[in-house]
Amino acid sequence: MSVVADAAGLVFQPYVLLVILASAAFGMFVGAIPGLTATMATALLVPVTFFMEPVPAIAAIVTATAMAIFAGDIPGTLLRMPGTPASAAYVQDAYALTKKGRPESALGASLVFSSIGGIFGTLVLITASPVLAEVALKFSSFEYFWLVVLGLSCAVFISPGSPARGLISLFIGLFAATVGLENPAGAPRYTFGNVELMGGVQFIPAMIGLFAVSEVIRAFIHRGSDEKPPATGNRGIFREQLTNMRKYPVQALRGSALGTAIGALPGAGADIAAWISYAVSKKFSKTPEKFGTGHVEGLVEAGSSNNGAMSGAWIPALVFGIPGDSITAIVIGVLYIKGINPGPMVFITQPQMIYAVFIVFLVANLMMLPLGWLAIKGARQVLSIPQRVLMPIILMFCMVGSFAINNSVFGIWLMLVFGIIGFLMEENDIPIAPAILGLVLGPMLEQNFVTSMIKSDGSFIAFFERPISAGLGIFTIAVWMLPLAMLLLRRKGRGTASSEPSN
Amino acid sequence: MRVTDLTLGVLTLLGGIAIFISAMGFKAIPGQDYGAGTMPRAIALVTVLTGVFLIVKAVMAGERLPGLRLAEWTGNTAALARMAAVLLLILAYILLSPVLGFLTTAVAVMLLAMLVLRVRLVIAVPVALVAALAIQQSFGKLLLVPLPRSPFLPFLW
Repeated sequence: MSVVADAAGLVFQPYVLLVILASAAFGMFVGAIPGLTATMATALLVPVTFFMEPVPAIAAIVTATAMAIFAGDIPGTLLRMPGTPASAAYVQDAYALTKKGRPESALGASLVFSSIGGIFGTLVLITASPVLAEVALKFSSFEYFWLVVLGLSCAVFISPGSPARGLISLFIGLFAATVGLENPAGAPRYTFGNVELMGGVQFIPAMIGLFAVSEVIRAFIHRGSDEKPPATGNRGIFREQLTNMRKYPVQALRGSALGTAIGALPGAGADIAAWISYAVSKKFSKTPEKFGTGHVEGLVEAGSSNNGAMSGAWIPALVFGIPGDSITAIVIGVLYIKGINPGPMVFITQPQMIYAVFIVFLVANLMMLPLGWLAIKGARQVLSIPQRVLMPIILMFCMVGSFAINNSVFGIWLMLVFGIIGFLMEENDIPIAPAILGLVLGPMLEQNFVTSMIKSDGSFIAFFERPISAGLGIFTIAVWMLPLAMLLLRRKGRGTASSEPSN
Repeated sequence: MRVTDLTLGVLTLLGGIAIFISAMGFKAIPGQDYGAGTMPRAIALVTVLTGVFLIVKAVMAGERLPGLRLAEWTGNTAALARMAAVLLLILAYILLSPVLGFLTTAVAVMLLAMLVLRVRLVIAVPVALVAALAIQQSFGKLLLVPLPRSPFLPFLW
């Protein structure tokens, strides 16, 4: 117990608490601006943490990322522009609620269930981290291949409209991901001799283009109809959440658990966790038809999932020194600079450090509630500004955000191209979300696919030879078969229904 | 601009074939059968299948080429002009901001965009000025993004 007391002593100091507060505000700010991600918040914090002791340094990063992942929901809900990719999975539902005049319902659910997911993930991190990490360690390229395919399949089947259109969207994203030098043979692909394209299609400008610029273009076209910002009621942000907790306890728990597990897998972070959880929620829902129309259920599950994943990602990072996502990859670098080598030995040599990290996680996730409330109160004012005034400013934010990734106007070119693509896609009822996921996971899919093919000498049977791989593979194929089975069942149902009256 | 399922299927099919042909030239990892072309070929294959599926489905439903339905707004010249305006403003920012600097270009672009949307000048001018300054201060100063300097306003950096 003295270890825990030591750890608490490290955390509960005025300086550390001040750092937590400041980085929370910073995380909220960065996460709430479309185009700036939680990863970017971490990267920007690193130079500042160089001047800190290990505990406040880690506290700053943990707090900022947790806040940024939640804050990404705010512009997603109010403006349909997910502030971070982890919010993209359920942005449709959240925005639909805003359109119905109930942004508080969406934001309240995001906030409360983000906090719940984060705390759940932390508890798992504390109790079961060695076990989970050991399972993840056994994964080879085959398991990763299936995991990515599963994530992508879910993205296609959760998208509104027909799966064929979802597939087209996915291929646009996957194809964009093949651009550049980053491939197994290191050969330039689709770069047309352009040096900037050799680095590949940057995710952030593409996301800003697809999600935000297409919306700006649409706003300019439909100026005549002049959409008034939806009136916001005076309902409390937290009040509805008790009802939600009673109504969707299973969803919250499942989202937290699945998110934590996915986060613990190296390479799979909050983004993929949110997508899979949203899909799972839809599949098991009693009212799947309500998803995408402003239904809180998916928000509850995916919202707890992405914050669970944020905590879960630290499991392999702390226990084995393998980053669970890009954020923990940066963290591992910081820890090395501080003279702490993450791995099993830290648990033996510096247990108070590990416990301090656990305490920081709990503090950050609890502080999210009051700070998030403040952020929502502030951000809601955005809606009271008329769209015609807001859209030009948003356009400027988009351009600066796209520029900021590489400090080059090439990002704005990319943003423009993807803005037009996104606009045309939406005009044709092609969902945008699968394209985003294809772009993010494309490189990982390719790497694991090609590695697996080389290892197996081109035999597909090898993808099912390892037990976990086989399980994941069969599960993925089952996901593919589901719409087909549903179609057959519906036909059968319609057949009996139409034959009944004649009887 | 809305294309029908049949047109979409044909476009998808053609896209898949184009990716496949372009991927044939990509090198494999030396000594291996797989490499840079593996993934694009796999994408092409599934794209072609999706295209064929869409075409078959559309033909069975009795669709015919050419299938292009124009949305209502495409008949509205003002709407088309506004769409062109926003694209041109983005282009203008890309081309002019390195020369004129962030503040000047940003104020001009936002001001023009608001005027296109018929925001009154009394509101548009102060909003454009304040927004540009706020973005410059938060991104340029706080986040250290090297926004292009305005030659006329060096004192703000």
